[in-house]
Amino acid sequence: MRPPAIPSAVTSYALALLGVAGVAWLTSAWLPLLGLTSAALLYLLPVLYAAARGGVGPGLVAALVAAGAYNFLLLPPRFSFRVHGLENLVSLFVLVAVALVTSRLAIRLRAREAEALERARMSEEAAVLSAALAGHPAHSALQRGIDLLAGRHGDLVLLADDALSAGSAACSSLDLAAAAWAIHNGDVTGHGTEVMSAADWTFIPLAPKNRLDTQVAALARPANGTTRRLAELEHLRQLALLLGQCRDRDVLESERRERELLEQSDRLRRTFLASLAHDFRTPLTVITGRLALLAHDSPDARDALVAAQRLDRMMADLLGAARIEEGSLVPAMESVDLVDAFGTACDGLAVARTIPADLPFVTGDPVLLHHILANLIDNALRHAASQVTLGAHQDGDAILVTVSDDGPGVPAADRQRVFERFARVEGTDRTTGSGLGLAIVKGFADAMGMTISIGAAPGGGACFTLAIPLVERPPK
Amino acid sequence: MSRILCVDDEPAILRLLAVVLAHGGHEAVPAVTAAEAMAALARGGIKAVLLDLGLPDRDGLELIAAIRTQYTIPVIVVSARGDVAEKVAALDLGAADYVTKPFDGDELRARLRAALRSGASPAGDSALLVHGPIRMIPDRHQADIAGRALALTPKEYAVLEALVEAGGRILTHAALLERVWGKAHRDDVEYLRVAVRALRLKIEDDPSQPVLIRNEPGIGYRLG
Repeated sequence: MRPPAIPSAVTSYALALLGVAGVAWLTSAWLPLLGLTSAALLYLLPVLYAAARGGVGPGLVAALVAAGAYNFLLLPPRFSFRVHGLENLVSLFVLVAVALVTSRLAIRLRAREAEALERARMSEEAAVLSAALAGHPAHSALQRGIDLLAGRHGDLVLLADDALSAGSAACSSLDLAAAAWAIHNGDVTGHGTEVMSAADWTFIPLAPKNRLDTQVAALARPANGTTRRLAELEHLRQLALLLGQCRDRDVLESERRERELLEQSDRLRRTFLASLAHDFRTPLTVITGRLALLAHDSPDARDALVAAQRLDRMMADLLGAARIEEGSLVPAMESVDLVDAFGTACDGLAVARTIPADLPFVTGDPVLLHHILANLIDNALRHAASQVTLGAHQDGDAILVTVSDDGPGVPAADRQRVFERFARVEGTDRTTGSGLGLAIVKGFADAMGMTISIGAAPGGGACFTLAIPLVERPPK
Repeated sequence: MSRILCVDDEPAILRLLAVVLAHGGHEAVPAVTAAEAMAALARGGIKAVLLDLGLPDRDGLELIAAIRTQYTIPVIVVSARGDVAEKVAALDLGAADYVTKPFDGDELRARLRAALRSGASPAGDSALLVHGPIRMIPDRHQADIAGRALALTPKEYAVLEALVEAGGRILTHAALLERVWGKAHRDDVEYLRVAVRALRLKIEDDPSQPVLIRNEPGIGYRLG
């Protein structure tokens, strides 16, 4: 759709004069037949035509020439410019007035038509852009939209907030400042606007003014050296909002894709670990089961059974370490009575327990907590000379669980290292452990927001302390 | 002598189960797939099922549901996967109990005994409930332990009644909460903790080292 061609000025003037000349010839030739009044009326025609077609200039010229011709050719005394009274002035005035009014009307009509065409062009463009942006996936739709606008309006790129601080080769510092302004204030900024108009680009926000955004559309200044009009910028702003919506959709879609990928790999890992445990435990079940039957009669089988059972604990440790390592550990926190936790952890083991009957409940993942206590007790039993003690007491807004033994203890210098994987304390025999037990204790404690530390027991042995914060449970 | 259906895709485990069950005076009926298991059940005479959840032809949890809709016999899950959520799901679907591989023979037989016992005396016939030193007469809201009368609140009584009824089988936290406090409270584990602590003060010799009411982390309570 092209705007209506503006009639060239020369043609308009020529046609105006030609029209007047035509009427002049007609009326002077047929005056007796037409009569003076009708002839005068006929002069209005070229004036109307000239004003409507060419505007004020040609209209006035036609009016003046028509008045002159009317005076010279028709008004008595004919063929002279002598003006006779009021009559002559009135005809001049009417012709000029007709020219002025008609030209004004014509101009206004033409402007309105141009405006309507412009509006149609804009909504057509918005519709085309919307259609381009509605496609799937959002990412390629967005690119199609950007290409479409770039094809019609000039170079267009999306600039992100973080790209501004990093600097960009294509943008001057004024451009960067204008882009930052556009992002932070939500205004159209840069070339063609009132804010930093010396910039080479116009920066158009992608989100409504009241919403913070991190991106802005940068549109190059028109190649023909003109400046975009305000209406044009307002239109571009609306188009940029459409781009912004598509961009939001793209962000959501990519977030969803990432989440799905993550879930998928998470599921794979989980399945892998579960089947690893399953495949390992099935033969181990046969071994321990058979050995347990044999152990009734043979002490040798008893040793083998103990070794096989240790293998199972190591397997549990390995799986625990793998879960910590791959970050899939999500504690299922609930209310836990430490009496329960101690009971299951000490089941069948020679461990002394001291726990007050009125100890507050704690919040933790009961399975992880059990694993922590079992590993600490297992570790203590392997190092104790004769006695392992499990205790709990309240200390301010935390419950402290202690596992202490009467073994050789851990030198202060080595105390932090014991929580590392496969750490071995100098001069001790750790061959019976997996080397992972205490690392798992730390990993599980961290996951539940608890802290584990090691110190010396009163008798010189090691004393591990698990600090469980007492948290106000959120109301349901 | 009861015939126990053992479902596991590993023949070595099936042979081991046969020996372990024989020690308790039971006969093992082996099945390596869910289809074989359903066929064996259809032939009748089975008193309980020991079920591995990792079967080649059907999801183990699904099989529990299928067995429970057709038969009233207890299903004990024998699983190598230590996943607590899976155990709870199995129990919620109607499994009587579970044993984790590698299992202890004595423990397996004890679980089986408890499951067969509570399967034998349906819940309707409960004029007198007995478990170890505990005796309860629910109609009269009476309970005593080793001849000593217990003064229990209604909630404490209801929790103890459920545990005694289960006769050593495990009851999940959710199942206990739903039964005593109602469906809306099936996640309010703290209610249960409070009631169990109060119960232990009344029935245990040393409430800080309980032997009667035992907890399994993340799963539930059973009577020792």
